[in-house]
Amino acid sequence: MTGFVGALVEAWDELRIHKLRVLLALIGVAVAVAAITGVTAAVQMLSQAYQEQFDRDMGRQVTVAVDAWAQGEQSAPPAALATEYARVLERYDITWASRDLATQVPFRFPDGTRPTEVRAVDPDLGTMQRIQVVEGRWFDDADVDALAPLLVVNRAFLDRLGASDLSEPLTVQLGDVTPVRSRVVGLVEDRWRGAPPEAYVLYDQLTRWYTPDAAAGFYQPAPTLKMWVPPEIVDDLTPRLRSEIGAAVPGWEVGTYDNRSTGGAALDGATRWVALGVGAFALLLGGLGLVNIALVTVRYRIREIGIRRSFGATSGRVFVGVLLESVVATVVAGLVGVVLAVAAVKAIPADVMFGGLQDRPPFPVSAALIGMACATGVGALAGILPATVAVRVKVIDAIRY
Amino acid sequence: MSMLELRDVTRDVLLPDDRVLHILRGVTLSVAAGEHVAVVGRSGTGKSTLLNILGLLDGPTSGEYLLEGTPVTALSNRRRTRLRGRDFGFVFQQFQLLPGRTALENVTAPLLYASGRQFWRRRDLAAAMLDRVGLGDRLDTMPDKLSGGEQQRVAVARALVRGPRVILADEPTGALDVETGQQIMDLLDDVASETGAALVTITHDLAVAARAQRHYRLAEGVLVPVDVGTGARVADWVGDVPTHLPAARADVPELGPSVPAAVQP
Repeated sequence: MTGFVGALVEAWDELRIHKLRVLLALIGVAVAVAAITGVTAAVQMLSQAYQEQFDRDMGRQVTVAVDAWAQGEQSAPPAALATEYARVLERYDITWASRDLATQVPFRFPDGTRPTEVRAVDPDLGTMQRIQVVEGRWFDDADVDALAPLLVVNRAFLDRLGASDLSEPLTVQLGDVTPVRSRVVGLVEDRWRGAPPEAYVLYDQLTRWYTPDAAAGFYQPAPTLKMWVPPEIVDDLTPRLRSEIGAAVPGWEVGTYDNRSTGGAALDGATRWVALGVGAFALLLGGLGLVNIALVTVRYRIREIGIRRSFGATSGRVFVGVLLESVVATVVAGLVGVVLAVAAVKAIPADVMFGGLQDRPPFPVSAALIGMACATGVGALAGILPATVAVRVKVIDAIRY
Repeated sequence: MSMLELRDVTRDVLLPDDRVLHILRGVTLSVAAGEHVAVVGRSGTGKSTLLNILGLLDGPTSGEYLLEGTPVTALSNRRRTRLRGRDFGFVFQQFQLLPGRTALENVTAPLLYASGRQFWRRRDLAAAMLDRVGLGDRLDTMPDKLSGGEQQRVAVARALVRGPRVILADEPTGALDVETGQQIMDLLDDVASETGAALVTITHDLAVAARAQRHYRLAEGVLVPVDVGTGARVADWVGDVPTHLPAARADVPELGPSVPAAVQP
């Protein structure tokens, strides 16, 4: 016990006294650990940004979608399909689900009534596809019963209305034959530069307030049903959905697809390994610098080691002492590196760089631990050589010179 | 029983050209607890080798070394090292303080190899010992800010802080002026008699040697008792090569670190 504590105390004293040389040697180690930890954190953030972008386009993992197409004149009405959708959600206890129908609805803009892209959805879609409302709000469940249709629009839509923000209450006439005054409650950014005006509306509200021109309807569009489900049930769920929904609406073709095969995790592999490789290389260089400096200083310290031998320092103690110096130093450097990495990661303006993260990944503790472990290992390796030299010091020679 | 006893100890060194250099030739010496023994001799007569063997820093080529009646030459390196730390205190000619560490830290250093109370209370013990050698107000001073006499006091405090049973002083006054040297020797004598430690002083300074109770002269690797009481002139101690021994070293060049030649003034 006292032996170990003594060795630690001694190692710390050595470091304290040789601050400068230790500092120089350790900058490399600290930078390497900071690089390993920081890059891992940055890559995680980038992956998250990539994933979120993907989620916005394709839905979160795993989103199962059910589509239905009417096959002929005798097809059952879409109302039967809507009932069946509600039934399967209940039956399979699916928490997150949304109908999604892309259609065109006329709106009365200051420059005239124009058919406009509309997505008729349920409130859950906001979470399922990470829809980011930059102003106002997304729909909630109570909105279904609102007395007038509510809209979440993109910026192009807002521009066409001649408004710049939602600070003033904003309404727009929806429909052409029997228009209804609808209220804009939320704003989203355009999905790409130059995107056309688009609006989200709740599916139930749209069907309540607006009926597409019957004349156009030899073909009745049915909404897609999107469900966010745990990956393990997908294979079991999709065939059941196809057969059950197909049986409930005769004359309709029912298809399902899921987004498991696309996107996700692409950055985790290669990029991460490259980052770790660079960090490991930096760590190696730092370690070599440490070996170099430690070897030189052991030569300088031969006398000191001899004096310690006269105090009763055993070979083992001298070996461990020199080794520990290196280890204690690299552990401290590793800590500094982790602190640097934390500071750097906190300082990354994720909103600017990645276009806004909804779920900022937590600081990669595992990477920090791995970095610390590597630093300690490098310290031990770097210490072995000078420690071996130190043990070979002949006491008498050391003191006489 | 003697505190330490050498019986017919020899120390040979193999030179690079395969010749054998006999540094010590049958040294027999016995020192009792509380006794002060001085060994004098010219440079290159094996004084330092003798001290290294006494301090378990070096082993004899043949002969026996008993510490309180227990042979130590056959002990493992580790045991000898522990014994050295516990029972021996060294005072060197060039002080050999650890650079960059305060007086207190220097005196604390040996206690890092102790255990139990000595280890955990090391700062208090070191401070008390520095106070004892008269440096109670210089605890946090670096060695290079201390005078030679003060540095040697720190070294004495460091040698004594673990309460050794043998103090080995190698030219303790060699780097000091006469008066300061006297003070250091007073201190060593006092502390040795206070604690009952055996004190072995190796010196070429006759005034220092004269303070001891018994005196030896080391010449050509042979230890000869000198009886000051018989009225022999002090200058005779150091003498020349004894006539009954062949001048074995006359043709030996100064070689290797273990040949204690040309180092001492």
